[in-house]
Amino acid sequence: MIQLEKIEKTYTAGTVQTPVLKGISFSINAGEYVAIMGASGTGKSTLMHILGCLDKPTGGRYRLDDTDMVNLDDDALSHLRNGKIGFVFQQFHLLDRATALRNVMLPLIYAKEYPADAHQRAEKALAAVGLAERMSYKPNQLSGGQQQRVAIARALITDPSILLADEPTGSLDSKSGTEVMAILQRLHRDGRTIILVTHDRSVADHARRVIVLKDGQVAEDRPVAQPRDAESELATVVDEEVRP
Amino acid sequence: MRTLRIAQEGARALAAHKLRTFFMMAGTIVGIAALTVIMAVGKGTEKKVMKRVNAFGTHAIMVTSGGGKGFSPPQAGITTLRLEDAEAIRSQVQGIDVVAPFAVRRDSPTKAGSNQLQTIVMAVGADWHDAWEWYTADGEPITAEDNSTMARVCLLGTLSANDLFGSQNAIGEDIQIGNVRFKVKGILEPRGTSPMGDEFDRRIVIPLTTGMRRVFNQDYITSIRVKVKDSRQIESIAEEIRQLLHERHHITPPREDDFAIFSAADIAKMARGISGTLTYLLVALAGLSLLVGGIVLMNILLISVGERTKEIGLRRALGATQRDVFRQFLVESLSVTILGMVAGSLLGWVVSIALARLTQSPVVISWESFALAIGFALVVGVFFGVQPARRAARLRPVEALR
Repeated sequence: MIQLEKIEKTYTAGTVQTPVLKGISFSINAGEYVAIMGASGTGKSTLMHILGCLDKPTGGRYRLDDTDMVNLDDDALSHLRNGKIGFVFQQFHLLDRATALRNVMLPLIYAKEYPADAHQRAEKALAAVGLAERMSYKPNQLSGGQQQRVAIARALITDPSILLADEPTGSLDSKSGTEVMAILQRLHRDGRTIILVTHDRSVADHARRVIVLKDGQVAEDRPVAQPRDAESELATVVDEEVRP
Repeated sequence: MRTLRIAQEGARALAAHKLRTFFMMAGTIVGIAALTVIMAVGKGTEKKVMKRVNAFGTHAIMVTSGGGKGFSPPQAGITTLRLEDAEAIRSQVQGIDVVAPFAVRRDSPTKAGSNQLQTIVMAVGADWHDAWEWYTADGEPITAEDNSTMARVCLLGTLSANDLFGSQNAIGEDIQIGNVRFKVKGILEPRGTSPMGDEFDRRIVIPLTTGMRRVFNQDYITSIRVKVKDSRQIESIAEEIRQLLHERHHITPPREDDFAIFSAADIAKMARGISGTLTYLLVALAGLSLLVGGIVLMNILLISVGERTKEIGLRRALGATQRDVFRQFLVESLSVTILGMVAGSLLGWVVSIALARLTQSPVVISWESFALAIGFALVVGVFFGVQPARRAARLRPVEALR
């Protein structure tokens, strides 16, 4: 589904050239749950931007669903993002003044075909992340965890090939974080391809495969021996809360 | 459809920031309001001018005794304008249809029974009706015979008839002008207000000979009304009459004229008078408001692009193309100016109507001013919206999301 071949990204400021990605190659198959790890400054964000078609590499090839994105123009990339990629950001990036429902519907505005059942789809997506009762709430009336769940619902509304989550738990307390991870886990189980970008080993361990970046190159690419189970962890947390 | 959805996004953004939207709108509101008032006052003035010009007569030249540059009433005590002058004009100037000399006395005391009226009495020849295109609505006009026999007959305007006789039929009744008794032989057609602002319909008309000899006791006239055949020749004929009267009255500049000549063009100029200055002021105000309002609009939009960098980045990440972002911001700009245009038009109408009440002068609210307002709103919205919209569209999503 995703094939990266010798992806390079070099930033040029004046005459100074800063290589950030130095030939990254890997493939991700449909249905995989992959964590991309690395300390800050290893090119993790840059790679995520390229994977998300927000930025173009300066070298190499990137094929997404058999489309070579390197040769696409800005409009085509926009359509690609809209149709194939669902973003979840650390800062949620919801529209403050719009309700949860409107936020979830936002990607449909830019869809090639606006679905007639946009409302119902958004309602279903919100219900799927446990926010059926909060559809008309605005972001400032929701907790951080709830906001991130709205963002996940938004990411899924166009039924994308890949869910790209950039530090999805970075702004959340541990319980909300676990809730979000449990949702991702469930999505993976339902067959969604998920790429999780994080610097946090304990978050990365929820995935089934970890790609570690170091100095702009792939340092490690290995399966996770014993993936953490966010759903059972969540159950434990709930148990602890319920216990007197 | 996509455009419509994007337009909705723009509209939502405006609705979500009402105060900001209002500030963006303020300049357009004032500008369009000023524009609407200008048009309303301008149209009103034109209407007034046309009414005055029509009342004066589009083919008419008036020669009045007494000099002066303004459109002043004939000066009492100037005795140099004579019937012979009218004869000379009639026989020596080409292109003339009618020459009607007349004498006027303002504030003449008149009465009928116990009703008294101080009003303008005009002593006229038989040509006068044709010269003014002013005839009797009822009864008989002043005739050449009335003049040759110095008949003591008169015509009343509708208002003077009402003042003297009420609703009673005045024809055949007697009135007194000064000490002379006259028989009412006709009622004039209603004619409205004179260029000088007094009521045409409160006049009393008598034969010229009777007036000069029996009532005013004078051998001079106060005015000559000339009707030309072709209104395009009015300026040259007026000049010819001026030359003729200079000769006849032995006037060589710099000595001042002892008469004055007016045509419809002069009447129009006078009626436009003050409103012209007012119009220039308002045009300046409208132009300035639209310009300043446009700059404010652009600035606020630019600031809002800066503030909404993250939002723009998000939209780009979710699939908005550069064109989508550009459109959204242009829609925001245009919505502001169009809403401002609607509010400005309403404000302009209110001000125009208030102005009409206050100054007693007519204003005309026209669809043209609305069309012009729409035009200006679109131009300002696009002109000042393009730059911010372009800046928003060019934001790189990666940087915007940071």
